[in-house]
Amino acid sequence: MNMDPVTQHSAQLTRRHFFGRSSTGIGAAALASLLGGGATAAPGASGLPHFAPRAKRVIYLFMNGAPTHVDLFDYKPKLKELHGKPVPQEYVGGKRFSTMTGNPKGKLMLSPVEPFHRRGQSGAWVSDLMPHTAGIADDLCFIKSMHTEQVNHSPAVTFFLTGSEMAGRPSMGSWLTYGLGSETDNLPAFSVMTSVSKGTSCGQIFYDYYWSSGFLPSRLQGVKFRSGGDPVLYLSSPDGVSRPVRRGILDDLAKLNELRYRDVSDPAISTRISQYELAYKMQASVPELSDISQEPQHVLDLYGPQVKERGTFAHNCLMARRLIERGSRFVQLMHAGWDQHNSITTELYTQCRDTDQPSAGLVQDLKQRGLLEDTLVIWGGEFGRTPFIQGNLKDRKRWGRDHHPYAFTTWMAGGGVKPGITWGASDDLAINSVTDKVHVHDFQATILHLLGIDHERLDFKFQGRRYRLTDVHGKVVKGIIA
Amino acid sequence: MKQFLLILIFFSIAGWCRAQEIDFNRQIRPLLSDNCFKCHGPDEGKRKADLRLDTEEGLRAELDDHRLITPGKPEESELYLRLVHEDEDERMPPQKTRLKLSSSEIELVKKWIAEGAKWQEHWSLRPLGNPAPPPAGESDWPLNPLDQFVLRGLRKEGFSPSAEEEKARLFRRLTLDLTGLPPGLEELDSYLASEAPDAYAKAVDRLLESPSYGERMAWDWLDLARYADTNGFQGDSTRSMWPWRDWVVRSLNANMPFDKFTVEQIAGDMLPDASLEQKLATGFCRNHMINGEGGRIAEENRVEYIFDQIETVGTVWMGLTVQCARCHDHKFDPLRQRDYYQLFAIFNQTPVNGGGRDPATPPVIRAPDSLQYGKLDELNKGITAAALKVERVEERLFTREEGQSASQSEAAKELPKKVVEALSRGPADRNPAQLGEVEKHYKESMAAYSALLKKLREQVAEREKLEKSFVRVMVMQDKPGSRKSFILDKGLYNQKREEVSAEVPQSLPALPEKAPRNRLSLARWLVDPSHPLTARVTVNREWQKFFGTGLVKTVEDFGAQGEKPTHPELLDWLASEFIRGGWDLKALHRLIVTSATYRQSARWTAQLARKDPANRLLGRGPRWRMPSWMIRDHALAASGLLVSRIGGPSVKPYQPKGVWAEATFGKMRYSQDKGEKLYRRSLYTFWRRIIGPTIFFDTAKRQTCEVRKTLTNTPLHALATLNDITYVEASRALAQRVLEKAGPEPTARVTMAFRLATCRRPDADELKILLGRLAILKEQYSADPGAAAKLLSVGDSPRNTKLDAIEHAAFAGLCSLILNLDEALTK
Repeated sequence: MNMDPVTQHSAQLTRRHFFGRSSTGIGAAALASLLGGGATAAPGASGLPHFAPRAKRVIYLFMNGAPTHVDLFDYKPKLKELHGKPVPQEYVGGKRFSTMTGNPKGKLMLSPVEPFHRRGQSGAWVSDLMPHTAGIADDLCFIKSMHTEQVNHSPAVTFFLTGSEMAGRPSMGSWLTYGLGSETDNLPAFSVMTSVSKGTSCGQIFYDYYWSSGFLPSRLQGVKFRSGGDPVLYLSSPDGVSRPVRRGILDDLAKLNELRYRDVSDPAISTRISQYELAYKMQASVPELSDISQEPQHVLDLYGPQVKERGTFAHNCLMARRLIERGSRFVQLMHAGWDQHNSITTELYTQCRDTDQPSAGLVQDLKQRGLLEDTLVIWGGEFGRTPFIQGNLKDRKRWGRDHHPYAFTTWMAGGGVKPGITWGASDDLAINSVTDKVHVHDFQATILHLLGIDHERLDFKFQGRRYRLTDVHGKVVKGIIA
Repeated sequence: MKQFLLILIFFSIAGWCRAQEIDFNRQIRPLLSDNCFKCHGPDEGKRKADLRLDTEEGLRAELDDHRLITPGKPEESELYLRLVHEDEDERMPPQKTRLKLSSSEIELVKKWIAEGAKWQEHWSLRPLGNPAPPPAGESDWPLNPLDQFVLRGLRKEGFSPSAEEEKARLFRRLTLDLTGLPPGLEELDSYLASEAPDAYAKAVDRLLESPSYGERMAWDWLDLARYADTNGFQGDSTRSMWPWRDWVVRSLNANMPFDKFTVEQIAGDMLPDASLEQKLATGFCRNHMINGEGGRIAEENRVEYIFDQIETVGTVWMGLTVQCARCHDHKFDPLRQRDYYQLFAIFNQTPVNGGGRDPATPPVIRAPDSLQYGKLDELNKGITAAALKVERVEERLFTREEGQSASQSEAAKELPKKVVEALSRGPADRNPAQLGEVEKHYKESMAAYSALLKKLREQVAEREKLEKSFVRVMVMQDKPGSRKSFILDKGLYNQKREEVSAEVPQSLPALPEKAPRNRLSLARWLVDPSHPLTARVTVNREWQKFFGTGLVKTVEDFGAQGEKPTHPELLDWLASEFIRGGWDLKALHRLIVTSATYRQSARWTAQLARKDPANRLLGRGPRWRMPSWMIRDHALAASGLLVSRIGGPSVKPYQPKGVWAEATFGKMRYSQDKGEKLYRRSLYTFWRRIIGPTIFFDTAKRQTCEVRKTLTNTPLHALATLNDITYVEASRALAQRVLEKAGPEPTARVTMAFRLATCRRPDADELKILLGRLAILKEQYSADPGAAAKLLSVGDSPRNTKLDAIEHAAFAGLCSLILNLDEALTK
């Protein structure tokens, strides 16, 4: 619907009022709801992107629980040599580990559980546990020098996704949709899907602050797609309300609201009219999104055997592709169960089976559609796992590794990242990052940079302070940008 | 005439000059705060060049060879010169900070210095003034002094206030604001029929006395008190704090003065002869999350709970972002890290140990919820009366000296040991067994006396039984002795630095010299009339409740980086009135809702829409979408489903299947309640911290203290109010209500449903649309009776099967439309 001149004028004034002295202001996106723009895709903050973006959207495959870098990607022959020998004190002295490990003195080194091989042209080392990821090594950029400050799951995940270990700050997806706006008018710009492997003993919970909008407008919070029932809460009309019945009701609702608007001229009313229309559209677009019956078999095959099963990581990967195809900005998939304190020889295999093929399939699928160029795919957890054992060396079935924040591996693909490279390195026991270290804030700064955002300039004033995703830190890792 | 003109000109010039003079607090301090305080502010650790610009002393400082500010001479003031320095390396703020003053801002600084560089203390820390309401002149618009302030603000910008809202709409606004529920049709009709000049005032009085008032006002308090039914974090085990929630509702309904309300919640346990209720009140401090994860260090938890406690007190009573001083001195406000840990020391004295396995970590008490409270009250009254009767008999039976017990009398000498033991206490203090001994002993000899004892015994026994059913509530209590407190580097529990002792922040009024440095003194200090913040912050938060935005928009931040008040004198006047009137919340609410400001029409005029879309000048009445909890209560009330029972354990109304299970890998499953628990007010809905009730949107998360309201408008809200069982069932029930009550005429039926949702009759255009839709819905459901049956089976409440199913379903569809009208969702 058209805005009348008063609304339009007040809109402009509101805009000015909101922008105030802040560099990015509250953002035009936030105003979409105030102004009755509604039914069009929401714009981002003014002046963004700051420069030409390499990526337009992000799929973040978050491996909740912390995958073991030493068994999957960070190959260290010396670990095999030292298998069963105490960890050399000079590597771990004075470091804080989780209360389960306490003092690492005397802990025994543990060799990777499966062999490693060089893969593709790039020759990246990938364990046999990840055959499909190994197959696309030339598309990936491995960062092997990651490090973080947190040793417990929830604070560490929160740190990765919001820039602070304490819950309550906006998450990366909210920051990006705040800054860049949305390119879809009938699907969420920021979506979240969660999964866990069957039979996993882990107990990590997916807290909703992992996709919270924090102090940004709550409109920017991630929309959680559910694994059972309605994909989005309250999506289905009630029993006995058909599509024509609903359409008719909404038509007259809009007419009556329109009369009310003419009477009181409150722009919130015209926004409400468009939001109801959008809700109606979502009732069609979300089921259409979720309907994978038209996907050809060879595409389904890329994602592996679980792809048709709702709630699995494979299914979520396919949904992620479908979402970004339809204009979503940020899709956050979280897969829990990587917390192998006593299951490196058991549950690790299940985790790899459930995630390896879908992750690789997603990258391949994006690539064959030409979407990988401007879609950034990220794979990684909140920290790594100790190169020394947790448990008894004699009891192979119960081998485990504890939390390890000092070195771990993540990978990125597409979206302006150099393919087929390895960035940074840990020491010869994979205990400490040593070369080209990448801190979590650097990682975040780099993601924003790829999306055309200067991480120091995307800020929001709250409680008297300007906040950023990267707090007051972060350095773009220029070396991985193509 | 000439003279008059001259006067006019004089006043215009005077006004013009005044308007031109720079106001330090409004125009200069924010510039300095935004651009300079980070390096030249309160944070001693980060201060550069030993220069501080946040205090008068700092600004008046003599530099080595020149003055920072030479009043009247910007060109001789380093502060100005550095802003315009030609050399990039010398210019302030440094380029790398990315901070920059615009040329007009620099002009302001220049002008301020030229005008003499007058300094003012930050507005919220200045003592409360007692501003006189400005004269209204010719205007008869103001209804109370509040309006005089508003009128002046409007006039200054060349506006006039709006006319009064239409009667029915105003009545709806008032009823929703004071009770969170819409008026019933009887109340509405009698109000509309009344021509009495005091009809509105009487309605206000009635609503303030309604028990629903306390329930409505409690919601916001629960939000800021981070009240929930579980502990949060991984285990998220269930706790039982609802007796505290009920205490809040009771206290608000009883209009407990806010100073008492404050003292009891922070330190009720330390009051002389603290009652059970006063101890219960301190549950406020224990509403924080509790971490029960295995690998956590208990001491780290304990320290974090105290952080939460003082930060909550800082936000709720002082509007200060004290959390900023946890790791370093505050960057903008005069709060040192030392101040933070001195406050910490006040709360660091409880026996809480930081372990979290037991969901109710000590100290705990057993306390009644409101359902039990009534019963307890009744029993206590009965016991007092019965004990008095026993006492009277015993005074004659066991004559003794004053101050002696019955057991010390001559008559008690020969009695069995157990009876004597019982008589050593007053009748009300004996336990049932003791009462039984005396009762048995005199059963034959003094049957009447024995019968009195029996009556007393039965009631005391019943009270004991009732007390045993009380749940455990976490409360405050200090350990004997005192625990040492330290500044914690970066807020880390084990990084102890200098030892500190309990004290209030240096930049605020001091505690009386002799007052012990403890929670009770802190609480009393907060509500001391000389405290510059508490009353201002409180009336501002209450204002937000009615107008959607505070006079200070940043209700959580009254510091240098917060917003300045739009009506500073009104804020101060309200605050001093509030204190003068004995911290009387109901009086404050009455003052607000009886003002002409509140009673204005909510219509946007072209002029106001252009100049003041956010209504900060208050030139129109408040109109905004109800909070989601109120939308639910509204729908339940309009449809007649609402069960208005006050208090008791939290309830689990409808929630889509699998929500808890998905968030917890199937470890927790939501077991929905049945029967009347589905229709209790939203206030009583069970709140799991890690995944709150899905039916509410834009609510506080109940994890940490939240005071600012958010208001968004998204398609997800529309999906909830269109599709959630609660609302579908409410539509069905509303349909049934009008089919049963409004007679056979469709017009009357539609009108009644519309009135229940909006308080007014639909006009001809609206009626036409509604009747047209009804006819179509009837056709649609006639063609598909199966669909009608399905729609009518949504929700647990029984349907009147005598009603025609097609008719009922069509009306249910129409009622869904009506309950989703913007007007129905908006107050």
